[in-house]
Amino acid sequence: MATHEEISASLQSFCEGYKKNSKLELMNRDWNRVIIIKASDIDSQHIMTLRNGELAVVQGVSDQNPDLVVTSDSETLADLFYGDITPTEPYMNGTLVIQGSEDDIVRLDFISLMIWGE
Amino acid sequence: MKRVVSISLGSSKRDHQVQVELLGEQFEISRLGVNGDFEEAIGKLQQLDGQVDAIGLGGIDVYVYAGERRYAFKDGLKLIEAVKSTPVVDGSGLKNTLERETVAFLLQNIDIIKKGTRVLMVSAVDRFGMAEAFAAAECDVTYGDLIFTAGIPYPIKTLQELKEMAAKLLPEMTQLPFHMLYPVGEKQESRDEEKAQKFAPYYYDAEIIAGDFHFIKRYLPDKLNGQTIITNTTTAADVEFLRQNGAGRLVTTTPVFEGRSFGTNVIEGVLVALLGKPSSEITPEDYLDIIKKLDFQPKIIELDN
Repeated sequence: MATHEEISASLQSFCEGYKKNSKLELMNRDWNRVIIIKASDIDSQHIMTLRNGELAVVQGVSDQNPDLVVTSDSETLADLFYGDITPTEPYMNGTLVIQGSEDDIVRLDFISLMIWGE
Repeated sequence: MKRVVSISLGSSKRDHQVQVELLGEQFEISRLGVNGDFEEAIGKLQQLDGQVDAIGLGGIDVYVYAGERRYAFKDGLKLIEAVKSTPVVDGSGLKNTLERETVAFLLQNIDIIKKGTRVLMVSAVDRFGMAEAFAAAECDVTYGDLIFTAGIPYPIKTLQELKEMAAKLLPEMTQLPFHMLYPVGEKQESRDEEKAQKFAPYYYDAEIIAGDFHFIKRYLPDKLNGQTIITNTTTAADVEFLRQNGAGRLVTTTPVFEGRSFGTNVIEGVLVALLGKPSSEITPEDYLDIIKKLDFQPKIIELDN
């Protein structure tokens, strides 16, 4: 089981990876989204916001309607955002649940692969 | 009589059957759509296994390519594994040969491809041979893989960048359900209005729009301005649809039988049946040789508006 702090650190690492890849800002400037990241086994919630290609993450509960809700156990979330695992396998086996449109799910998968892919 | 059947994840509205004679052999060629029902496709493949001379898989890619690397879609492999004895092909083997030849034919025979011609390939990893041929002809190519597959407004402009993106994305993306990346079933019959509007500038800016017809059709904007479309899998209704939507010319890469340009999977199935050897042993030279014997050439239809 990962802690809330570990999930926060993994999300920070994800944000740093995003900022290092200059193409991602260009690619996502049309994709303004609010994404909730929620652990299913501990009390931990984060809000990831993409606006004009810029990505930001804060702790806490959103007062906006999210476009995507990403839910998994704390360990999977930390592994995922540190890039130790890709989202596809936990998504396909149901460990990782993403509520939102299929187009948005593909887009989030794409961002993750652009940061951590081969 | 040799029988070749294509099982397609696409709409059953496009089902068709023809009889043709090729190199002295009678062929019955049919296409059966399962409207996106994956389990039905597996059932039909199992029924046909051992009963026909070759099976094509339509509406899905099993293999896509970027440079020397090949990537396999998990869903496509599941379909192939349902067939134990009959040769089964997805068209990717033939695309690499036939579509490269199509660009060469157009370069030699008609004046529509030249250095700097603006080409939009709606997707290139499923037609890497064609993508390389356009690049070799020094066309100004936009590879639309990210735009039309993932909805990301990022035109890829070089084969090198396409290969790098493919290496990052495809090992994982190919594990997703195919319908998340490609229109299957009823989606093939409708336009994605929002994306058609959003991505229209890529269509309007191109002189040639090439690639998978279902992608071209799903994101086609309201009115083209005389562009040449290079594709296949078109019906007589599709030709009329393109004419009404302002396309200037249609080039189909596969031969037309009874007004219908079948998918490359069907034609690859026919060639495999004619060659009479396992598809794994067939080389690009085998395909080139038999294409020449059959005198398969691209069909060009002028769509005067």
